Order: sequence, then C-alpha cells, then structure tokens
Amino acid sequence: MKDAVGRILLIDDEEVVLDSCLAILEGAGQDLATATSGSAGMEQVRAWAPDLVFVDLKMPGMSGMEVLEEIRALDPTIVCIVFTGFATISTAVEAMQRGAYDFLPKPFTPDEFRGMIRRGLDRRRLVVEAATLRREREALRENFAAITSHELRSPLGAIQQNLFVLTTELRGVISDDQQRRLERMGSRIKDLLELVNRWLRGFAVDFSSLREGFHPVAMAAPVEKSVESAQPEAVRKDIDITTEVDPAALVLGDEGTLAEALLNVIGNAVKYSREGGRVRVAAVREGEKVVVSVADTGVGIPQADLPHIFDDFYRGKAGEGGTGGAGIGLGITRRIVEAHGGTIAAASEPGRGSTFTITLPALAGPPAGPEQVPKGEAG
Amino acid sequence: MTERKKVLIIDDDPDFVEGIKSILDSADYETEVAYNPKDGWAALKEGKHDLLCLDIMMGRGAEGVMLARKIRKDAVLREMPVLIITSIREQIAFLFPGQAVHPGFVPVDELVEKPVEPELLLQKAGALIAAAEARQHGAE
Repeated sequence: MKDAVGRILLIDDEEVVLDSCLAILEGAGQDLATATSGSAGMEQVRAWAPDLVFVDLKMPGMSGMEVLEEIRALDPTIVCIVFTGFATISTAVEAMQRGAYDFLPKPFTPDEFRGMIRRGLDRRRLVVEAATLRREREALRENFAAITSHELRSPLGAIQQNLFVLTTELRGVISDDQQRRLERMGSRIKDLLELVNRWLRGFAVDFSSLREGFHPVAMAAPVEKSVESAQPEAVRKDIDITTEVDPAALVLGDEGTLAEALLNVIGNAVKYSREGGRVRVAAVREGEKVVVSVADTGVGIPQADLPHIFDDFYRGKAGEGGTGGAGIGLGITRRIVEAHGGTIAAASEPGRGSTFTITLPALAGPPAGPEQVPKGEAG
Repeated sequence: MTERKKVLIIDDDPDFVEGIKSILDSADYETEVAYNPKDGWAALKEGKHDLLCLDIMMGRGAEGVMLARKIRKDAVLREMPVLIITSIREQIAFLFPGQAVHPGFVPVDELVEKPVEPELLLQKAGALIAAAEARQHGAE
C-alpha cells in the first residue's frame, strides 16, 4: 500500500536538522515546507494550512510550546509532533499535554522519521474525518428537527385548525353526539401534535448546548412549576402531591428544562399511582450536591425493567395501572440531568411505589439578581 | 357607520388559510388571501388592509420573516398591525433549546401559535386593529 501523502511543515532552528529531514523525504511525494523559527513557522501554518507539523521545542524567540498552543487555538485538527533532544523527554510529555500528538527524540533514524510521518498523517486523516462526521451529525439533527417539525406538524395543524372552526360553526347544527365526536377528533390530533413534539425533543435536541445559557436556579422554582403542571391529573386521581424544598438547594442550570425533567418524573409518579395515592417531592442540599427526590406510593417498577427505564423508547411491561406513553420522557429527563452534570437513579418496590433521585452539583451562595422566581409566579 | 375591516392572510397552506378565513369571515371581516410572500406583497401594495395575518415558514424557509422586515421598512405599511400565526416558536425552541425566542426576532405586533383557537384569533385581531386605530387617531 502506498504511504499517505500530505502537507508537512518542519520547524527547527538547526538547518542541519531540516536538511537531513528533507533528504530523508526526497522522492516520497510529500509536500514539504520548512521554517527556522517559531514565528516564521506560524506564518507558514496560517498561509499554507499544513496537515502535519514537526516542531523543535528549543528554539530562540518563539518556543515550540508557544507554537503548539497557537496551532491548537488556530486549528486543532492540525497534527503536531515535537522534535526533542535526548534530555528533554519530560518536556515532550508536557508538549503532548498541550496538544502535541507525539514526540520524536533526536537523533532519529530515517525509518523512525518516516514511521512518524505515517502515523501523523493517519492521525490527521482520522481527526479530519471525525470533525466532518460531527458536523454532518449536527446538520442532520438540525435538519431533522426543522423538516420533521414543519412537514409533520403543518398538516396536523391545518387539520386541527379546521376542526376548531367546524366545532364552532356546527354548534347547534349537528347533534350533541356528533359535536362530541368532533371534539374527540380534535383531542386526538392534539395528542398527536404533542407526541411529534416529544419525539423531536427526544431526538433532535442537543441538550449540551444548554450549558451556554446556564444561570443560578433555586430548585424551588422548577419544583413549583412542574408540580403545578402535574396538578390537574393529580386532582383528577385524588393524589396528594407534597413538596419540601431546602432554600439552599441552588444549582447552575436552565430553569425551563429542569422543570421539564422534573415534570416527566412527577407526571409518571402521578400516572402510575392508584387513586388516593401520595407523591412526595423533596429537594435538599447535601454538601456539594443538591438531591431532588420524587417518591410515590404507586404500582412500582418491576426489577427487570429498572435498568432500562432511562433508555430512549423503553416502555417496560406497563403492568398494573399502566397507561399509554411513548417511552421518551425519562430518556429526555436523563439527558437534561446529564447536561446539568448530574445523575438520575430509580429504586422501586413493586406494588409499593418508586423513588426517583436526581443528583445535581450544588451552587454555593444565593442566586444573584432577578433570576430568582418569586413564589407563586410559576406557570 | 363602520366599514368592514379588511384582513389579508398570507400562508402557503391552503387548508390552513381556509380555517383562518372561515373564522374571520364569520366575524364579518373582509378577507383577502395570498398563498406566497410575493403575491402577498403585491396585495399589500395594491390596497389598504387593517390587519395582516402572516405565516412564517413559507417557501424555502422563514420567508415570512423577510416579508415582515420588508413591511416594517415601508413608510405606509409599517402602520398596519401584523399578526404572526405560526408554529415557529416551537421550532425555534427545538433548534435552540432553553433560549427564549428573542422578542425582536420578528418585528411584529403579536404572535399566536398554529393551530389557533377561533376565540383567540378574533380577540387578537380585534385588539390589534383597535390599537392601530387608536394610534392613528392619536397622531391626527
């Protein structure tokens, strides 16, 4: 197999090193450039965009370490290998910590040099491929979200719109039973629209990008919001939801998605509880952590299902009192919690109830500024 | 005697337009329809409208946004209230989770989500037209 070829830049203040490197590579078909100082080398990097850079660590003026840092800041996909003298293995290790891919101790044999070039160019190919795949994946995700939401939601929205109109216009014209069926159709379409939204949320959203917008959140706010949203169903089933929130339970996060994560868990607790049951939501500060627990007295989760409940699309056996669901909620919850640097776990005793525990890194001190949501403003 | 208020609907989904139009017709608005931003712009230039109901996701993307911006730059049309009827708020939430939709994202007066309840549509339309008239009387 033919060796990979690419653009290789050699930076070394000793011209004899550069000359011998060029001599070794003569006729190998590599595209080569040299520089005798760090700053001249950086000029080449900017103008010429090499695949692979060999750089000497000890040079007058701009050092090899500085060259490494600048290259990493400029384009982290450029693969850097350092030349290093016999006595500087420890600095070579430091160089690798600063982004160098490998090091080649001087003096080296032609075969060692050629081998390193092969490795370096292979590495470059992999790094570039990985970056391309990452970009493609992101584009796919975003396109999927945009296309699906438009192509699926638009027709559903149009149907729903006309159902609204018909329901209004035909009031009194059609029988009560017909009216009821129209309303039922509207409610099914609404469920379908919500399902599409949840799917999109499950697949298409990169929750890690939330981090950029993190601010201090007192857990009281998302707890209150999520409990409020779960309340109608709880009232219908005569389930008592109690909350207990430690004022010191502060985290750095995104209030909206934290409320969404909690609602998925609290909603499940209500859904899988028998009529007249009880759901306890608590948020406490435990040292460096904030622990939010949601405990119910419901049907519980079979031991066999427990390890899988946070997987996407896992629905379990539903068991007693189970109602329909898409198996998405807890997967989303897990991803939201993980984006906050936290973990989620569940314990359950079938027939007696389940407890979900979300552990998040605590934020020291009270939240600053207007972010704190006053009680009663949620929703 | 009050004249019937004239509402222009610009949306590329004929079924959706029919739904909206039917609500407005039943409330005695005079409705006109355009199924793409180009025809919509032509209709706007041709006659005076008391309200524009505008969809965002048309054509190859958010062409409704472009149209809304164009309207806001027009010395005459900028006085007309614009009601955005769209599902884009949710789409934006998907693409940029956790971020509030920037209030200046589209320079419009109101935004309602598709599908819109008839009462809500009529309430928003009525309020926007009344506010625009009040502004006009104030300026006179």
